Amino acid sequence: MSNATLLISLTILPFAGSLVAAFLPANARNIEAWLSGLIALSALILTTACYWSVTAGGVMRYEAQWLPTLGLNFILRMDGFAWLFAMLVTGIGLLVVLYARYYMSPQDPVPRFFSFFLAFMGAMLGVVLAGNLIQLVFFWELTGLFSFLLIGYWHHRAGARDGARMALTVTATGGLCLLAGMLILGHVVGSYDLDEVLAAGELIRSHALYLPALILILLGALTKSAQFPFHFWLPQAMVAPTPVSAYLHSATLVKAGVFLLARLWPALAGTDAWLWIVGMSGLVTFVLGAYLAIFQQDLKGLLAYSTISHLGLITLLLGLNTPLAAVAGIFHIINHATFKASLFMGAGIIDHETGTRDIRRLSGLYRFMPITATLAMVAAAAMAGVPLLNGFLSKEMFFAETIAAHDGSLVDQTLPLVATLAGMFSVAYSLRFIHETFFGPPAVALPRVPHEPPRWMRFPVELLVVACLVVGIIPELTVGPVLETAAYAVLGPALPQYNLAVWHGFTLPLLMSVAALLGGALIYRLLREHLLGGVEGPPLWRHLKSQHIFERVLVTVSWRWAGALKNLLGTRHLQVQLRLLVGTALIAALWSLYGRELAVDHTASPALDPAFALLWTVGATCAVGAACLAKYHRLAALILVGGAGLVTSITFVWLSAPDLALTQLLVEIVTTVLILLGLRWLPKRIEGIDSGARLRIRARRLGDLALALVAGSGLSLLAYAVMSRPAPSSISRFFLEHAYTEGGGTNVVNVILVDFRGFDTLGEITVLGIVALAVYALLRRFRPASDSIDIPEQQRLQNARDAAPPLRPPGTTLTDYLAIPAVIMQLMFPFIGVLAMFLLIRGHNLPGGGFIAGITMTVGLLLLYIAGGIRWVEARLHVRPVRWIAMGLLLAAGTGVGAWLFSYPFLTSYAAHAELPVIGRAPLASALLFDLGVFVLVVGAMALILLALAHQSIRSHRTPSAKATVTPPSAGET
Amino acid sequence: MIAWTDHLLIMPVVLPLVTGTVMLLIDERRHGLKAAINIGAIIALTGTGLALLGLANAPPTEPTATQVGVYRLGDWPVPFGIVLVVDRLAALMLVMTSVLALASVVFSLARWHRAGAHFHSLFQFLLVGLNGAFLTGDLFNLFVFFELLLAASYGLMLHGSGTARVQAGLHYIAVNLAGSLLFLIGVSLLYAVAGTLNMADLATRIPLIPASDRMLLEVGAAALGIAFLVKAGMWPLGFWLPSAYSVATPPVAAIFAILSKVGVYAVLRLSLLLFSEGDTNLAPFGQQWLLYGGMATIAFGAIGVLAAQDTARLAGFAVLISSGTVLAAIGTGHPGVTASALFYLISSTLAISAFFLLVELIERGRGPGADILAVTLEVFGEEGEVDVEAVEEVGIATPVTLAVLGLSFIGCALVLAGLPPLSGFIAKFALLTALLSTPGAEAVVSPASWALLALLIVSGLATLIAMSRAGMRVFWIPLERAVPQVRLVELAPIAALLLACAVLTVRAEPILQYVQATARSVHNPHTYVRGVLATPSEQSAPRGGDS
Repeated sequence: MSNATLLISLTILPFAGSLVAAFLPANARNIEAWLSGLIALSALILTTACYWSVTAGGVMRYEAQWLPTLGLNFILRMDGFAWLFAMLVTGIGLLVVLYARYYMSPQDPVPRFFSFFLAFMGAMLGVVLAGNLIQLVFFWELTGLFSFLLIGYWHHRAGARDGARMALTVTATGGLCLLAGMLILGHVVGSYDLDEVLAAGELIRSHALYLPALILILLGALTKSAQFPFHFWLPQAMVAPTPVSAYLHSATLVKAGVFLLARLWPALAGTDAWLWIVGMSGLVTFVLGAYLAIFQQDLKGLLAYSTISHLGLITLLLGLNTPLAAVAGIFHIINHATFKASLFMGAGIIDHETGTRDIRRLSGLYRFMPITATLAMVAAAAMAGVPLLNGFLSKEMFFAETIAAHDGSLVDQTLPLVATLAGMFSVAYSLRFIHETFFGPPAVALPRVPHEPPRWMRFPVELLVVACLVVGIIPELTVGPVLETAAYAVLGPALPQYNLAVWHGFTLPLLMSVAALLGGALIYRLLREHLLGGVEGPPLWRHLKSQHIFERVLVTVSWRWAGALKNLLGTRHLQVQLRLLVGTALIAALWSLYGRELAVDHTASPALDPAFALLWTVGATCAVGAACLAKYHRLAALILVGGAGLVTSITFVWLSAPDLALTQLLVEIVTTVLILLGLRWLPKRIEGIDSGARLRIRARRLGDLALALVAGSGLSLLAYAVMSRPAPSSISRFFLEHAYTEGGGTNVVNVILVDFRGFDTLGEITVLGIVALAVYALLRRFRPASDSIDIPEQQRLQNARDAAPPLRPPGTTLTDYLAIPAVIMQLMFPFIGVLAMFLLIRGHNLPGGGFIAGITMTVGLLLLYIAGGIRWVEARLHVRPVRWIAMGLLLAAGTGVGAWLFSYPFLTSYAAHAELPVIGRAPLASALLFDLGVFVLVVGAMALILLALAHQSIRSHRTPSAKATVTPPSAGET
Repeated sequence: MIAWTDHLLIMPVVLPLVTGTVMLLIDERRHGLKAAINIGAIIALTGTGLALLGLANAPPTEPTATQVGVYRLGDWPVPFGIVLVVDRLAALMLVMTSVLALASVVFSLARWHRAGAHFHSLFQFLLVGLNGAFLTGDLFNLFVFFELLLAASYGLMLHGSGTARVQAGLHYIAVNLAGSLLFLIGVSLLYAVAGTLNMADLATRIPLIPASDRMLLEVGAAALGIAFLVKAGMWPLGFWLPSAYSVATPPVAAIFAILSKVGVYAVLRLSLLLFSEGDTNLAPFGQQWLLYGGMATIAFGAIGVLAAQDTARLAGFAVLISSGTVLAAIGTGHPGVTASALFYLISSTLAISAFFLLVELIERGRGPGADILAVTLEVFGEEGEVDVEAVEEVGIATPVTLAVLGLSFIGCALVLAGLPPLSGFIAKFALLTALLSTPGAEAVVSPASWALLALLIVSGLATLIAMSRAGMRVFWIPLERAVPQVRLVELAPIAALLLACAVLTVRAEPILQYVQATARSVHNPHTYVRGVLATPSEQSAPRGGDS
């Protein structure tokens, strides 16, 4: 297989497996395990096959175009270091699959488990094989996502949810920081390609942005590897099923952080900042983790803190800035993965076979499971750094490194001592793990009778423990070449000389090892009394519940503060929103005008006519009055609005705009009537309900008044400034010149409406139609407020009078109400219809047009409804407003489409004049057809709104509470 | 004389108009027939949109070729009549609109389209408004189409009735009417000083406006800008948006996801078209506002996402983050950032749309108040909880429906939070890398860019925290709940939208190239202006005086 095929199949295989696994039935435990095992095995074989290409600094590379525009290509890259990690990921993955087959309960719906597991493996391989910074972040975040799903696998347990969320929150935050850091790094280097970044170490370290980039990247790496001060999430993540813990928290997920540190070591390491941040974080974690591990009462909790501690050790080694320390760090990555995975699985076996992993309840298990106990002992010895086991080798390299002087500072001087101390802690907790679990009196009252696990469940542990032994005894022959390959990939030609031999003679590091072993045993002995007390956690520290704090902080910041801020910065009140809108507009306008002079040409405007001034005083009074009364006296306000509208209409006449005046007048009439119809159904408002908060309300209203005044006068000023200056050369000239010659009409306004800008009109009539439909849709389900259902007061009075002697049937008066005007109104209908037709036809040349005609027709219809009532009208006239709207729109749009037949654009008009009998010479423009559409639509839309409002009165009969009242059948709806 | 194919340009307006109208003639109870017509029309629209996109994106065959299609309505010469103009940006928005429309309508088939009168017609009219707004090259015509889409959205907003919808809907109407008023004022002022309404013509005339008229122009532009920003939901003008979107029926909310982008579109189009031609005075003025306003919007959106009490409101605030991000990116004034913002716009709009559809499905089958209960459990759960160990260490099988819903939820969360593997990550990466590599200023990244970069990352984190909290609340906490009854037509659109996000990741390059070309041409509107103004204006109409 070629390199490319190898790398691609290695990346894709787990994801493909994950997809297949997800679709298997819920009880297919064996098939799932076989599938996952085969996938992991194939991946392992593929990885092994890569070995010969990556020795001696060889790099396999596969590049595919992805986003070349942004300098982002899909690059798979495997060197010795990546190969080492790929081996860990696939190899331990395979063992964990085997283990999980026996660990997971037969009732467990494992497809989800194995699907997430394989996807996680794929993501991890993606991180390892990424040849591109951004791609690395891409897979990095995926590992976070899938680990979240795996940790929360038993999500019906509150602990699993909390642990999963904490892991996600912490690592995803780190991941986002990492993304930012990688972006800066890429910005500095000018490329996201890993090879180029690794080669540009000098450039990076001397760049001004080095420190921010470093801090951001380290935030990503340290959170992932659970380094101090981000260590708290890892123990909480132990709620995951044990196979997950064994995989994620020994060999893979948390190792991603140290992987990144080692990966970028050539580019970022070698500065004081690196030494202090990485080194200190690693050192603190190393000591603290080991110390805390001693006091855990949960087997997995102990292992979790031990993992934190060992990761701290690796971090510290990578942070020491010397090549030899880096080698030791890489070596310890391998060793830790082997013994920690086996220990986790051992703890899982104990849990599985006894039903608990509480150290306080466990005791003397050696009798029941001698083989498991032996295996665990060997692995724990490796963890403690006992000679002839792999942990000893890397730890001794570490001790040697702590002795070598670096910068002579106080921390550097005390480093060997601190390291030895932490080594003692390691020995102590390893001892405790073994001693309290397997030795002592046989445990009583365990949930299950302990026994050896199934053969194949123990197999992975056996294999790993053998690896610990073999590596520990003959390191040069086994792990030697692998380590060299991996270290060379990181350090390159700078790879220092090192010796993997078990025996180096009587050296200081050996002394430190011995001291750690003895001291650890002593510490355990001294603490034993305290530990048997059964208290979880070390003295003092245990009161510092990091999970509790984290949850509290998260809830406070992301929930309470966010809620408070949202209420502070936002609002749900309409008034406030409108105030903000007007205010913002005002500020924006003032911003533009600030410091400049708004030139207003007073000379151009004619002298003010007193009559006109009076007219406007009336209009303004009406408007202000309407605003004042709108809240409690709607009818009065409506009448005043009508007055203001009338003044506007007269103003148009005054300024010689008959079309506008006519339209305004008619619209005023129709809308007033329609709103009148609606007023009937609005709930009553009672004045003075808020007597307590009156002052505040008054102040708010005054503020609103001030805002309205400023905004209104500003707008008037703008309008005046515009109108008083000479008009620019504008397109309106064209309309005046071409209205007759090419539009075929002398009424320029109408020609603009139906021809020049007929498209606008088409849009606007559609708006009208839609609004009518929306009103209809809204009111169809409308149920009036309970206090509006009753018949109006006036009708009640009338009925009461009827009921008074001399007795008349109630409603008689109402039937005859407006009897004479009604007859006149009914008679007027045909005349109004003719008038509307007249206005429509003459519109192209004289004031009029489809819209005006339509409104006029609506007035006729309104009168008919007012005069006769709904039932009377609809018994005689088919009122089908929706159909009219549709026909009108179709007519208008159809006129436009008609131009296509002649290969002209939409709405191209054709105008001609024809000699007709009787009528004489008449204009025949296609625009008339369009205008007819406008006419039909306007009638339809207004009629639909009218109906929607008017039918309320009929419908309200059906509401139960209104049943008792008798409403006369033919009148009173309006 | 023009060829039949040239009418393609107006089809996005005429087709839905006629379809919506014809459906008015069909009996209200024939939902199936109407739905079929509606879907057929949208598929045709999608085809048209794609064809126009192909035209707009065609490599110029000859040096003089302009990649701008112009349609002169009524055959009137250019600055006088109304024109429709299709360029890359417009074509992109058209395609987006029809894709979202298709998803929404298919989703509505399960139940929602029967929840009120004239749903399908109103829906088509909304498309008329949207498409018209994207296509028009005339400022007043833009106003008309804004009105059209708003009118239709009023109807759709109230679709399904209910107190919450009517209340939020009336707020929506009031605020948007006020915004329309500002729009009208702005158009009037611009016309008053420039004497034209054609956008391309405005672009050439604005630099020539005398200094004395300058401030009127600026006030007009500011009024226009505020009208658009109300629509886009910029802080502090967008408080109506989460309330309205979160209570609208799901298919309506899903198409509303593009509605807020109309405001963004108008800002992008007009600010760069009108004020970039040789004018250095005005452009930075507006840009600063956009940048800081957009950043404030992102911040407010992120806060709102965290504080949201239910999933629908969370989605509403996610719209704000999305809008704010694009606005702020436009405010930086760099074509590269704009291009990335367009990519982000595509990705986030698809995801938000899918999320709005999803929200209703996951809420279905949960008792009222389930959210409050779950929140209480999470926040105050430490005390008085059942013994953790007592709960069996055996997983609970997830019903297929819940599994699919859960996956979709994760998908939406990933895109919105900007995490891999879906397009959200690519979009965020593209934005961030563009921010870092803005040309000029000697490779020094400005503080504002840093701030925006930080804000983008933090808003992603906020979204992640909020989404994970919401997701765990809905899917993981074992409250008694019935598995929601979900139909395939409801899942399919969500899956399709998320699939589109996945495609956006894999095929990111061609799309990115497209948006980059779009951003270049939007930032250098000479092609647009030349393309519109150079359209042949010979009068060949059959109109004449007398016959």
